[in-house]
Amino acid sequence: MSVASPNRDGLTAPERSPARTARSGGARPGAPRAGRPSALWGLPALLFFGLFAVLPMVLVVYLSLTTWGGLGTPQFIGMENWTRLVGDPVMHQAIGLTVMLTVGSWAVQTPISLLLGVWAAGRQRNRAVLSAIFFVPLLLSSAAIALIWRALLDPNFGPLAKIGPMIGMPGLDFLSSESGAFGVILFVSAWQFIPLHTLLYQGGARQIPESLYQAAEIDGAGRYRAFWHITLPQLRNTMTTSSVLMVVGSLTYFDTVLIITNGGPGHATTIVPYLMYEAGFQNYQYGYASAVACVLVAVATIASLLMVRFTGFGKMRSTREGM
Amino acid sequence: MNPHRAGAAGALALLLFTATACGGSGTGGSGDGEMNIALRQDSLAVVQENAVKRFNEQNDGSKAVLNQIAPDGYEDKLRTMMGSGQQAPDMFFNWGGGSIEPYIEQEMLLPLGATLQENPEMEDAFIPSIMEAGKVNDTQYGIPLRGTQPVILFYNEKVFEEAGVEPPETWGDVQDLIDTFKQEGVTPFALGGATPWTELMWVEYLVDRIGGHEVFERIAKGDSSGWKDPAVLESAQIIQDLVDEGAFGQNFASVGYDDGAASALLAEGKAAMHLMGSWEYSTQLADAPEFAKEDLGYVPFPPMPDGEGHPQAVVGNPTNYFSIVDDGDTEAETEFLKQTYSDAYVKDLVKNGEIPTTTGAEEMLDEAPNPDFAKFQYAMVRDAPTFQLSWDQALPRPQAEPMVTEIEKLFNKQVTPQEFVDNLAALQ
Amino acid sequence: MTATSPARTGQDARTPGPAGPSGGSGRHAGLRSWRHRPNLVAGLGAFVWLLVVGVPLYALLAATFQQSSEYRSAGPLALPTDPTLDNYARAIENGLAGFVLNTILVTVGVVALVVALSVTAGYAIVRTRNWMSDSTFRMFLLGLAIPNQAVIIPVYLIIVQMGLYDSLIAIVLPTAAFSLPVCILILAGSMRDISDDLYEAMALDGAGSGRTFFQLVVPLARSGISTVAVYSALQAWNGFLFPLILTQSAENRVITLGLYEFQGAYRTDIAGLLAAVVLATVPLFIVYLIARRSLVSGLMGVGGK
Repeated sequence: MSVASPNRDGLTAPERSPARTARSGGARPGAPRAGRPSALWGLPALLFFGLFAVLPMVLVVYLSLTTWGGLGTPQFIGMENWTRLVGDPVMHQAIGLTVMLTVGSWAVQTPISLLLGVWAAGRQRNRAVLSAIFFVPLLLSSAAIALIWRALLDPNFGPLAKIGPMIGMPGLDFLSSESGAFGVILFVSAWQFIPLHTLLYQGGARQIPESLYQAAEIDGAGRYRAFWHITLPQLRNTMTTSSVLMVVGSLTYFDTVLIITNGGPGHATTIVPYLMYEAGFQNYQYGYASAVACVLVAVATIASLLMVRFTGFGKMRSTREGM
Repeated sequence: MNPHRAGAAGALALLLFTATACGGSGTGGSGDGEMNIALRQDSLAVVQENAVKRFNEQNDGSKAVLNQIAPDGYEDKLRTMMGSGQQAPDMFFNWGGGSIEPYIEQEMLLPLGATLQENPEMEDAFIPSIMEAGKVNDTQYGIPLRGTQPVILFYNEKVFEEAGVEPPETWGDVQDLIDTFKQEGVTPFALGGATPWTELMWVEYLVDRIGGHEVFERIAKGDSSGWKDPAVLESAQIIQDLVDEGAFGQNFASVGYDDGAASALLAEGKAAMHLMGSWEYSTQLADAPEFAKEDLGYVPFPPMPDGEGHPQAVVGNPTNYFSIVDDGDTEAETEFLKQTYSDAYVKDLVKNGEIPTTTGAEEMLDEAPNPDFAKFQYAMVRDAPTFQLSWDQALPRPQAEPMVTEIEKLFNKQVTPQEFVDNLAALQ
Repeated sequence: MTATSPARTGQDARTPGPAGPSGGSGRHAGLRSWRHRPNLVAGLGAFVWLLVVGVPLYALLAATFQQSSEYRSAGPLALPTDPTLDNYARAIENGLAGFVLNTILVTVGVVALVVALSVTAGYAIVRTRNWMSDSTFRMFLLGLAIPNQAVIIPVYLIIVQMGLYDSLIAIVLPTAAFSLPVCILILAGSMRDISDDLYEAMALDGAGSGRTFFQLVVPLARSGISTVAVYSALQAWNGFLFPLILTQSAENRVITLGLYEFQGAYRTDIAGLLAAVVLATVPLFIVYLIARRSLVSGLMGVGGK
């Protein structure tokens, strides 16, 4: 068996493998090397990603050890930013809020998206029409969505000023209380992202073989039992994907916070990404902001690694696996 | 981490960094005979727009281009642009003092000494105390570009008439008015709490009236224990009492100023009074011209009982300044500065409701859209024993931002007055 | 997402999996089956969600046809009594068209870059067997977890050093870089479904990796590529942080930033601001109307299935 060197670009025709499989190449060592491309094919993407994502990661660690006001050259100060970060009550609060927002978003968005997705996977015409409407928020940018909700929630010049007195609550205002503002962020992000996750679940539910339901029906299972015993287990992979996207996504709610609450009232909606922005681009303490950024990367990485570990999301799997 | 290793890591990072720099193509740069002027976008900008038009008509050489930047975030954007080097503006709007100090430290700004020597009329054109505020370390870096901006207590005359009351002259009046307006179902004071620098104005006046201007001067000089002065605690207590009484209404924390919401509350009679910089007049003139002309009243902030501060002391922005970025070619910029005291410019200021800081301005005030208001303001500034620059502009940014957030928390009752004092004193 | 049959019409985007039965085959199971009775509870839930999504959208649209003063007095829930297009006219006067054009340029740039880089990288990852391609894949996998906020400060530095600050390219480059991990993951998945037989046939035919790439990989990864294009286009169109930090002048303003800055310019003219929001969405909406199927299936593809 010829072991084509990776950079020979498969110019020589390798032998046909007797043990080939119709499935993907697989990770079996000594598998046939039919037309193996050189690893150089991956180089452009690697370099590009390296320059704009990996190098910045290195730099952000370095910057976290400096003091820099955005002008001139960063001055090395050692661990000073990190000591400050450990003792900064605003940072503690920001981490708490970020965790709450992440967990809260998952808990709100997953069941709604799942149910809507499964429902929308049905073939009825009315479902198709409604799905088309449900899709619309996906077309709006988070900046646009934040502006819309800010206008709708304005206590003096929005609909609340009319609705409040009608339901006996004049001065109805969600944005001026701490929990209210946090709730608004949670709600607006759910409004924004549920359509995407609904779509993922809809796609997942449509791939469930009809035969499973036929069999279940023959066994006398009802609609709800079928949901628990067929739909949910079959959507396992979709749920993993959707959850990873949700968790990583909720660590980046920034536009929404900036536009609707500016991190306030006080620091009530200052989540870690916003704190980073505030420390860097508003207080001009780029060194400290970099330390906050490092924490953000660490939290995101740990969260993703945990999810990958527990779900096997990272396995080089074929899209057909798990069907 | 030991310093040696950290140094090595830093060197590596910088190496990578410069390596990327070499790959740069350098397509940026607005240069090419264009003079880029960064300006904070607001209702006053029309004066500068006209000046740019005139300048471009009069000069064949470089063209002036106005880059108007959203007011909420102007300083941040400016800082980023300045840090970017090649995309820095050629000239920019600022507040003088602390707002330009970092750029001077980096030697980015053009000292105007030579310009003033060549053009002696420039120095004479402005009120000396206002020119003085454009200096840092005894060197002139800023030329006034706007009118003076004291903070004034505005009120809606129609609302006062309907309630049959007069504007406040003492703190006791203020208390009575709060009760009256609450009974009328009108918010006593409009307050844009979503843009918390508006709340800062209350703290500034209260501390100034109660403790005198020395209290803040200590803080501005870097003595943060000045926050421990009893006047600060007393002011904080008064503020929370006002909040409890409903003096600012129920939802001030989500009312903005930059989006015009607070001003609209006053104009529409939903609120009776509004403590705001003198630019509020121009804002109302743009957003609610009827109201600005007919029903917008104004009084100075009342004195506090037993306060040590002078009842005529003023807080606010003495004015705004243009500073020039020293990029080696500053001829067109210095030429443009001459616009700021030209007759046409000063007339524009007056017409737009501003009080120019040029020496001959008093005679022109009759042409103001509201001569009475113009004269009131002019006298207020002229007779003030002190004119204190807004604290958020006087303090370096890393202190100013947390200070404003603490003030926001004080108004939102997220901290007690004592915690407020302690937190501020702890700021480095 | 497995190969979407492009010829398929009808209102569902369903793709019959090669192994799965076609949707109609279950219909023989009998009319009294629960699978063909309406599900009232689910229908009610969907109706509630329709309100949650529909009412704000209705308010948004209604507001934009109201006079600004009417919006203030009646609120957006009232039907406009005197419909007007003034708000839209004002939005256009304020330079919205230029912002849209900038956004289109950025989006095209990002999609081109992402597709070119992720398809080649996906090919290398799936077909090359050495430590390099494995670690590349792992790196991109970890890259999924880097929030773009976390590196915005160094990215700003790099862009400044490259002399690109305040240009559209400054937005394109990092936006594309941060779309890569998801896109490569999607493409790697879709390329693994190409069977070895086909590669071997190409090799027997004497095709090099270049020909294999263009004649085999690209055509067969079509659905993955369209998913990637949709995903990166949405990222570019809706991006906010990179434009916020990396550009400043009006001539390089993209639509999201334009809307954000309009807040200051429009002040209490909420009807005008909302009209700008609606106009900013029109281009995407047109794309949605024309290419709803591929947009929807593209986004479903983000889920890998």
